[in-house]
Amino acid sequence: MKVDALVIATGEGSLPLATGTIDVLGYSPGLVSSPFEALPTFLHANPEHPYRIAGIDGVEHALAWLAETAESLGYQGGLVRNRWVPTVLGGLRPTSMLPRSMVSADLHANAHAEIVVAGIRGYRDFHPALLAANLSLATPPSGGRTIRARATEVEWPGNSSDLVPFRLARRLEEAAVRREIANRIRPSLGGATAVAMPALLGRERWDEVHRDLEGRLERDVFEVPGLPPSLPGLRLSDCLRRALRRAGGRLLLGSSAVSATRVDGEVRSVTVTQAARHTEVKAGFVILATGGFAAGGIARDRDGTLREPLLGLPVHGPQVGAEPTSPRFLGSQPLDRAGVRTDPTGRPLDTAGEPWARNLYAAGAVLAGAVPWREKSGEGVALATAWAVTGAILGGAQ
Amino acid sequence: MPDALDCELLVIGGGSTGAGVAWDAALRGLQVILVDRSDLATGTTGRFHGLLHSGARYVVRDPAGARDCARENAVLRRVAAPALEDTGGLFVTTPLDDVEYSNHFLAACPAAEVPVEEIPPAEALRREPRLNPAIRRAFSVRDASVDSWKLVWACAGGARELGARILPYHPVLALLRDGSRVTGARLRDLRGDRELEVRAECVVNAGGAWGGRIAGLAGLHVGVRPGKGVMVAVNHRLAGAVVNRCHLTGDGDIVVPSHSVSIIGTTDTAVEDPDDVEPTAAEVAAMLDAGDALLPGLSRARALRVWGGARPLLPRAEGPGIDHRAISRSHSVIRHSQVDGMAGLVTIVGGKLTTFRLMAEDTVDAVCQELGTDRRCATAETPIPVDGPHGHHRLSHRAEAFEHRLERSDGTDPLVCECEMVPRSELLAAARTHPGSDLDDLRRLLRIGMGPCQGGFCTFRTAAILHEAGLLDATRAVSVLLSFVEERWKGQRSVLWGQQLRQSHLDEWIFQGSLDLEHLPETSAPQSTRAQEPLPNGRDPLGRPLGTATAQDDRIASPPGPEPEP
Repeated sequence: MKVDALVIATGEGSLPLATGTIDVLGYSPGLVSSPFEALPTFLHANPEHPYRIAGIDGVEHALAWLAETAESLGYQGGLVRNRWVPTVLGGLRPTSMLPRSMVSADLHANAHAEIVVAGIRGYRDFHPALLAANLSLATPPSGGRTIRARATEVEWPGNSSDLVPFRLARRLEEAAVRREIANRIRPSLGGATAVAMPALLGRERWDEVHRDLEGRLERDVFEVPGLPPSLPGLRLSDCLRRALRRAGGRLLLGSSAVSATRVDGEVRSVTVTQAARHTEVKAGFVILATGGFAAGGIARDRDGTLREPLLGLPVHGPQVGAEPTSPRFLGSQPLDRAGVRTDPTGRPLDTAGEPWARNLYAAGAVLAGAVPWREKSGEGVALATAWAVTGAILGGAQ
Repeated sequence: MPDALDCELLVIGGGSTGAGVAWDAALRGLQVILVDRSDLATGTTGRFHGLLHSGARYVVRDPAGARDCARENAVLRRVAAPALEDTGGLFVTTPLDDVEYSNHFLAACPAAEVPVEEIPPAEALRREPRLNPAIRRAFSVRDASVDSWKLVWACAGGARELGARILPYHPVLALLRDGSRVTGARLRDLRGDRELEVRAECVVNAGGAWGGRIAGLAGLHVGVRPGKGVMVAVNHRLAGAVVNRCHLTGDGDIVVPSHSVSIIGTTDTAVEDPDDVEPTAAEVAAMLDAGDALLPGLSRARALRVWGGARPLLPRAEGPGIDHRAISRSHSVIRHSQVDGMAGLVTIVGGKLTTFRLMAEDTVDAVCQELGTDRRCATAETPIPVDGPHGHHRLSHRAEAFEHRLERSDGTDPLVCECEMVPRSELLAAARTHPGSDLDDLRRLLRIGMGPCQGGFCTFRTAAILHEAGLLDATRAVSVLLSFVEERWKGQRSVLWGQQLRQSHLDEWIFQGSLDLEHLPETSAPQSTRAQEPLPNGRDPLGRPLGTATAQDDRIASPPGPEPEP
C-alpha cells in the first residue's frame, strides 16, 4: 500500500551519536546471550517496556526489515545470539547486528588468534594501548581462550593537525592515503589475524575503504565505534534517508513540529516551523518519534515537572518531590525510564489512561519504560516500536 | 614500627589556612611538614565561590572583619597576583533591598578602610548589561575572583622550595602525646598503604571545619560549627565583575565570575558533619530564584553543577538558635597550652580565604611563642610563587596559550578537554609532576571536566592518554575513569533539568551505551588507590621507551604542586 509519508526532523537525530550497531538486548540486567530466548522473560519482568508494543515477532520483523532496507551496509546477525564486540575502552559489548565493516569484530567464537589494534597518532578518540590492554583482560562470555591483542599507532600521512572524524573518513576514501596507512600498519602485523581500527573508514565509499584495507593488510579489518560523532551511525542515517526517498517519502530537514490541532479525539494537523515560516501539515496519522531527554522529546523543568513539549502528553516518571536519581551514576536512575505511556498498539495515553488521539502513535526513545543505554536496546526499541506502530497504522487504514 | 619523620612544625590540614601556615612558617625558617587526609584544597578551600572579598560585604555587620578583608585584599593583589582575576565588584540596591541599608553601607566603608565609589545605576548597567535594570544605587568595590587551588599549590610549592614536606592523602589517625604535650601525629599513607609517625615540636590544627575532630584526638574541645554553603556554577560569565546585593547578607546574593563560568552563592545552614554538605534541590532552586533579583534570567541559565562547602565557624556563644549568618567570619587562634594546659598544639578556626595570609601570620606567631622563638613574618612582602603569566589572571590567558602552542607545534597536540582548552601535552606534564594523581586531582590542576559536558568527552581521553604514557596501568585507568564519572555525577544530580539534563543523558549514552562502562571487568572490582608500579621493561604500552616518544610534551611548564610521597 502506498502511503504519503512526511518526516519532520530538526536535525540528524541520534544515529550519528550512536555506534552503528543494532542493539536489541544485552543486559536484563544479567548478561544476555540470546535476545530471542531472553525477551519473553524480560518482558514478563518489565511489563511497561516498549518492546511489549512490538512483541518478539515485531522485533524479528523489524530486524529483517533493517537488514533488507540497509542491505548496502551489509548488516548481519539477528536475535538468536548476541555478538561481543570491543568498545574503545577494550570491554566487550553485546549487540545483535553488525554492519559489514564490523562483522569480524564479533569475538564470540575464538574468531582471531591475535588482534592488532591500530590507531592514528593525534586522533583523540581512539587509544589503541588501552583498548588492547583491556581486551587482553576480557574473556568472551561464551568461554574460549583469552583474547590476544596488541597496540600500534601510526602517523597520519600528511597534515596531522585537526584530526577530526569527518576529515579522516573523507581522506581515507583516497587510495593513496589508504596505501600509506596500510604500509605503516603492516610492520606491526606479525601473526595477527585481524586489525581493529577506529570507526573512520569512509563515509559514502566505506565498502571500498574497508575491502581495500583488508586486501592490503591481508587480514580481517574491523571498525571500533567510540565517542560521537559516529561514522557508522551516520552511514546508517544516510542509508535510511535514501530508503525513505526511494519509497516516495519526504524528509523536511531543519524543521520543527511546534504544535498540533486535535479535534474530536483526532489529530488533524501539525504545525511545523521551518525557515521562520509556520506551515500546517494535515495528516491521517501522526507518529511521535521525538526521542528522550537527550533529544528533547521529553523535558524536565527545574521544579521536577516532566513534560512532553510538543503535544503536552502526560509523562510517566518520577513526579515532583520523588527522588529522580541515584547517588551513584551507575546506580538505578528512576528518571532514565521516564517517557510517554501508550496503549498496547503504541498510542500515547492521556491522564485518564485513554488514547490521547485515535490517530497518534509514538515510537522510540520518547516511550517510557526502557533504559536503552543500560539494557543495550536503543536501536532495537527504535526499530521494533517503529515497525509495530507503522503496522498498526497500515492495518488500521486498510 | 611505623616509619618516622621529624620536624619543628606539623601542620594538619592542606586547605588555604594550612598551606598558608606552611608557607609562612617555612619563610620564617621553620622545618615544616604539611599533611592532609586528601589532596590539597579539597575541603572548604576547593568548595567555595572563589570570591576575594573587598570587605564591603561585612562593613555594616562586622567592621573589624571587613577591615581585615580590605587590607588582605590589597596584600594579595601584590603577593599573589596570578591567582587573582581583577574583576572588580559591584554592590547594587535591587528593588527588593532597603535603600536605608545602602546609606549605612556607604557610611561604614571608610571606617573599615574599604575603598568604595558610588556610580550611577546607568554606569553600572553599562558595565554589566545583564544587571537588573531596576537597581536604584550601585557601588564599585575591589572584589576579585581567586583561584584557590592555584593559591594553595603556590603556598605549598613555595614552602617545599624552602624545605617543607607536603604529604597529601595522609589522614591523621592519632595525635602523639607525652603527658600534657602534643608531640606529633600518627598518619596513614593512603597511597603507600602504610603508617607513618611525624614527631614535631609544635602541631598546628588547621583542620578548619574538621578542626573540632582533630582537637578531639587530643581530648580537647573546640566548638567548630560547620556552616554549609551551597554554590551553583552556570554556563558562561553572566557578569564580568563580582555582583553583590547591597543588603544585610542572604542566600544567593553573590555572583562571581570564575574562569569561563559564573558561580552563584550561597546559603548558610548549620550541619553536624562537615562532610555532609550535599546540596538539596530546594536549596538550589531557592538560590537561583534569589539570583534573579541581581541578574534577571539567572534562574533560567544553564546550571552545570552544584556543590556544597563547610565554613569553619566558631560561635562566640554556643547553643541552639544562634543565627548562623551572625557568627563572625573573623578567625581565632587557640594556644591550647594557655586554655587547656596542653602544650605543643595551636588551633586556627574561623576566618575565610580572603584573610588566609593574616590567619597564617597570627597562627605562626602563636607557634613561635610555643617554641620560644622570635621570628618575623615575611608573607606580606614576599610574592607567593603562583604559576602563570605575570600580572593578574585574565580570562583570555588560556586561549592565548593555546594559540601560542598552535603556532609553534606541528599540530599533533590535540585538545583533550575542549570545554576548558586543555591540550594533551599539558595533561601529561601535570600528570608526570604529580605521580599517583587520579583524574579529580588533575581536574583541580587543569580544570578538565569542569565545562558544559562535565567530562562526557574528556574523561575517556584523559584516562587513555595517561595509560598510553605509562602513567597508569589498564586496570587503574578504568578505575580512575569510573571514580571521576561518579564524582562528576554528584555535582550534576541536583541540576538535572533543561539543557544540562540533555547533556547528562548524552553522557549516559556515551559512557554506558557506547563504552559499556558498567560492565568492564574492573568495574565491579575493588578500586585501588595505589599508584601504578613502573612498567618493568621501561617501555610504555605502545612499546616505546618511556620518556622519549613525547619530547614535545615536556615543553609546557606545569604548575607547581604537592610533592609525591616520600
